[in-house]
Amino acid sequence: MPEVNPSGTTTRGDTTRTAALLVLCLAILAIAIGYAAAFRQNGAPVWAPWLLALGIPISLGAIMTLGAARGRSGIGPLKLPFLFVVAVLAIGFCAALALPATESPLSKLWLGLPARAAVVIYGIGLLPIVVLPVVYALTFETQTLSAEDVERVRAMGRENRERTSLGSDVSDRELSE
Amino acid sequence: MIQLSTPAALLQVALPSAAQPAVIAVGVLYFSVVVAISVWAARRTRTASDFFVAGKGIGLVALTVASVSVSVSGFAFIGGPGFIYAVGLGAMYIVLPAAVTNVMGAWVLAKRMRLLGEARNLITIPDAIGARYRSPAAQGLAAVAMLVGIVGYMATNALAMGVVIDSIFGVGLGWGIWIGMGVTLAYSASGGILAGIYNDVFQGMLMAAASVLVFLFVLGYGGGLGEISRTILAHDPTFLGPWGKLTPLAALSFFFVFSMGSLGQPQAVHKYYMLRDPLQLKWYPLLKTLGLVLVLLLYFSVGVGVKAFVLDGRLPPLASPDQATPSLLLNVTPIILAALVFSGVAAATMSAANSFINIGAAIVTHDLPIAFGRRVKNELGWGRAITVLIATAAAITAQRSGTMVAFLGIFGWGLFASTLVPALAVGLNWQGATRAGAIASIATGLVVTLALETAAYRKVFTFPAGVTASAVAMVASFLVFFLVSWLTRRAAPLELDADVQLVMEL
Repeated sequence: MPEVNPSGTTTRGDTTRTAALLVLCLAILAIAIGYAAAFRQNGAPVWAPWLLALGIPISLGAIMTLGAARGRSGIGPLKLPFLFVVAVLAIGFCAALALPATESPLSKLWLGLPARAAVVIYGIGLLPIVVLPVVYALTFETQTLSAEDVERVRAMGRENRERTSLGSDVSDRELSE
Repeated sequence: MIQLSTPAALLQVALPSAAQPAVIAVGVLYFSVVVAISVWAARRTRTASDFFVAGKGIGLVALTVASVSVSVSGFAFIGGPGFIYAVGLGAMYIVLPAAVTNVMGAWVLAKRMRLLGEARNLITIPDAIGARYRSPAAQGLAAVAMLVGIVGYMATNALAMGVVIDSIFGVGLGWGIWIGMGVTLAYSASGGILAGIYNDVFQGMLMAAASVLVFLFVLGYGGGLGEISRTILAHDPTFLGPWGKLTPLAALSFFFVFSMGSLGQPQAVHKYYMLRDPLQLKWYPLLKTLGLVLVLLLYFSVGVGVKAFVLDGRLPPLASPDQATPSLLLNVTPIILAALVFSGVAAATMSAANSFINIGAAIVTHDLPIAFGRRVKNELGWGRAITVLIATAAAITAQRSGTMVAFLGIFGWGLFASTLVPALAVGLNWQGATRAGAIASIATGLVVTLALETAAYRKVFTFPAGVTASAVAMVASFLVFFLVSWLTRRAAPLELDADVQLVMEL
């Protein structure tokens, strides 16, 4: 039985957050190693950009998961869209690194660009737009913020303000006495 | 390898004169609209909340367009296309993150900051850090870091304004700086962020219209993207490679700094407080992303298009990459389109400057006094006074040599990223983060960025190809944040107020 927090949510979301945090930490570490390797006297080794090519999408996916996780469901229906976007970015970067340079006047063009450029511009630059903001809007009430959530925070805000004004009234009275 | 650390390094060279009747007329019309909006907004600004966060009463569409407007500086219109012209598609890694950054910001920050504003009446970013860690010290340190970054950004934008106004009206750089800052100051001081927001809306629409029209013109003039690509591939195939003429590490580094770093950019993050109804956040990322795509069409099309037109002899070779946009506008496009774009560049620099003036004034009148346990009684009055001081200081600094101003501007983006992203973006989503972790992380970002940028500026030290001070500082700040928070993890539950905890768990 998951433990219940003061806010009424359960710790399942915390498990998701812990995992996301760990992954974020590891991804940043991978990026740090990639940068550190570039300081070698012989220049950046071949594997340094690969660490960034994988570390960057994973770190972005992890911090989005950290932000989107809530209550009982963790990130619930957002798992697939997040995985999709992390995969698109990682595959895009890795394809750009791995595919041979064949750009020439005879290259086949994809929507006006040679293949590797098309992967970067249309894959990395446009595909996430088709998915993420739409998913954000479609899952907003269940996964991000509901009218009930806003009301709970407003109620707590009102309590805060009442407590603060009560506190200042008491201290004013104490001062006058 | 070509070095260009951040978009702040914009418009440091003179633009060719565009002082023709049509350009001047559109320029005068543009400034008239800005003044009219400012007069209207000044009449509606009565409290500090109106002045700094527009009374938390801005609607979705206005906020989105304003946010797009402040997210792109003049770099998107001048320096960016020039950067593509110089290094090819590698320069796109600065703007490609826009595909994910807006929605990432919405998930990571927007909801929590807007709800914190609701619960605590917060009005600044350091306010959020102070509330999260129950720490005036963390709030004060974040405020100092932001103020250092703002000084650099403001000076760079003031210089950029001077360059553009000189190009439109032919008044000279010095007068251009004072006219640009004078107009920006007039609406910043009188109408605060309310004037800023509605001017941003006008300026954002102007930028989007200019960008789309130039994009369509370039495609038409070049015979479509395929023809443009064929011309480039015949002469310089590397230009259209996935990294352009950058190393893979350099291009990926841009992507990292401009994606993760976006979570610490105050001009965008501060806007979350201003939305009238938190539930309107639902459509914010979609609208903002689409708006950004429209504004950035010029960045891509001019950079690639001008390269092809120079290679096939339709445009003369450029004296410097920054001349890519002016050369296209003054040699090829209809003059009215050129006028629109020049006004769009002025709009971009003014909207960014206004936003930073306002944030800087809030830091001086609100955050720093709180850090020292004091409160300013008349925040609105002091806010207006500090606005005048910041704008004047920026204009005076901008009169100095271009290299000094460029140096000040270079670390702006990186400084915001390295000092704010871990403490704010991760801290608002991780209850295990501690006050000590936040303070250590902000201090690390501040010290590492300043030390590395200064060492590089004074040529004491040269970074390996592909590595920038911004990236190293952000990574260091992250690692310090995780490590110190873990070492002091027992303090974490004691540093979290119930309302903040509720906001973090929703």
